[in-house]
Amino acid sequence: MNYSLITLEILAVLLGLTVLLADLWVSPSSRKALGLGLVAALGCLLAFAVGSLAPQSGSAFSGLFVVDDLARYFKGFFIFAALAVVVMAVDFAPKFGAGLSEFFALTVFALVGMLFAASANDLVLLFVSLELITVTFFVLNSFQRTRLASLEAGVKYLILGGVSSAFMVFGIALIFGTANSTNFSVLFAKQKELSQSALFLMGLLLVLVGLGFKMAAVPFQMWAPDVYQGSPAPATAFLAVGSKAAGFVLLIRLLVGTVPQITTEWHRLFVVMSGATILFGSLCAIPQRNLKRLMGYSSIANAGYLLLGIVAGSAAGSTAILYYLGGYAFTVLAAFTVISAIANHVESDDISALSGLGQRSPFLAAVLTMAIVSLAGIPPMAGFFGKVLLLKSVLDVAAGHPELYALIAVAVVGVVISLYYYFGVIRAIYWGGQSSNLSTIPVSLATRVVLVACVAGILVLGIFPQGLLKIADQAVAGLSHSSTPAAHKAAH
Amino acid sequence: MTPGLHHYLIVSALLFSLGLLGVVARRNLFVIFMGLELMLNAANLALVAFSRYHNNLNGQVMVFFIITVAAAEVAVGLALLVALYRKRQTAHVEDLTSLKL
Repeated sequence: MNYSLITLEILAVLLGLTVLLADLWVSPSSRKALGLGLVAALGCLLAFAVGSLAPQSGSAFSGLFVVDDLARYFKGFFIFAALAVVVMAVDFAPKFGAGLSEFFALTVFALVGMLFAASANDLVLLFVSLELITVTFFVLNSFQRTRLASLEAGVKYLILGGVSSAFMVFGIALIFGTANSTNFSVLFAKQKELSQSALFLMGLLLVLVGLGFKMAAVPFQMWAPDVYQGSPAPATAFLAVGSKAAGFVLLIRLLVGTVPQITTEWHRLFVVMSGATILFGSLCAIPQRNLKRLMGYSSIANAGYLLLGIVAGSAAGSTAILYYLGGYAFTVLAAFTVISAIANHVESDDISALSGLGQRSPFLAAVLTMAIVSLAGIPPMAGFFGKVLLLKSVLDVAAGHPELYALIAVAVVGVVISLYYYFGVIRAIYWGGQSSNLSTIPVSLATRVVLVACVAGILVLGIFPQGLLKIADQAVAGLSHSSTPAAHKAAH
Repeated sequence: MTPGLHHYLIVSALLFSLGLLGVVARRNLFVIFMGLELMLNAANLALVAFSRYHNNLNGQVMVFFIITVAAAEVAVGLALLVALYRKRQTAHVEDLTSLKL
């Protein structure tokens, strides 16, 4: 057994525990300094995760845990997201009241769940890592205990999250019963005979319910708008980026890596799911007045676009998902950092609260505009190129499948609708009428650095996509079970 | 007649449906929460039955994971419901209406 493979996870757990312990000796006034220390530590962890010292490829714990290029890609992704969220939380501190260090620690523990999810090669680890993420988010979402909206968001996430994980557990039981194993490599080897078993297919469908909930895909998207609106902004940002990406990395591993044959047979199901998710998210976003709720619907629509890559079922589709998620992370983190800074100052996250932002804080206004433009999919931003890649991957396999052309049409309609509601936000920023309060919104240095990094990310990914594309290509190439023989042997 | 795998699976499916019915039909948050636990335990029963049938202990190990996770979920969930009750003096889903368009 090679314990060095889980170095990153062990370090992250230790980091979370250190924060919890350090809280005992740190005076309440210097909790923010503790947060900045955590940011520095996460920065080191990120450098370690993407550097050449990162754990080599291999599998551990009887093939339960794998490290490959796909896992490494997502680990870097998750650590960056956690870093940005902690920076956001440091500025958000006055709103939390007591318990700021606990928020930091819980963010790190959720990160640990995501790191494990990126490496899961077994339904057991899939379940445990997803639950680690879900249970920590119950607390993160309801962290403002004195605010009813936050508690309500937490309770709604609790009930719906509980139901979806119960479905997933039952699905795992059925898969275990028919395949006599929960290891992805074993399932891959047996998929031909398993695809004949109705009980196995039922189990797989139930596991997809659990993953669909994480991704906020129709018909498991009900929670997203309410929870996004009610949760504190940093928690919402982590939910939108980390939790969604954790759902997608597991979906890629399970559907593309483990049972590609069944995924191809089921492609109509994913066509309907993707199309319905795009339309639901885009149409329901139109009348929204609350910015965080709007982001909730936008997040649903984006889950639909990402599902296009699963519909394609090809390596190009998976590459497009990875690329799109990369751009999406920069975009959403930038948007939520600005939303959180404004909500901190103005006590509101309505779109109307943005009025006059163009004059009050030109920097924040410019960053939010860039993020919104990228979400809308306008060149030369990362969001544009990501959508093009996703659509192209579907188009490549569309010959002879009229439903795929229909799906592409739906996706394009979704983009057009989204232009309308995203433009509403930009209009509020620059042409929202005079705001009575013209004081600048204070932005800390750390936040400024994160915002600049996100904007640079959006632009660089949009203008020079080759770099990330190459990494994403490499990450997906390992998926077609070049790594399985070793894992397979270990499983027996 | 000795009970076979099918009997256990039928009981498990019944328990799961009853739990789901509790979640969907009941209006009290605590009863909904009990329904959730019932659903998880239905899965546990199925796992143990499969595990015994296949003579593969992995399924029973999975049950321990599920029990542990469910305990964590209950601890956090009940704390959350108590916090909500303190704030709102209610444990009914109809009263959770502060978040809307």
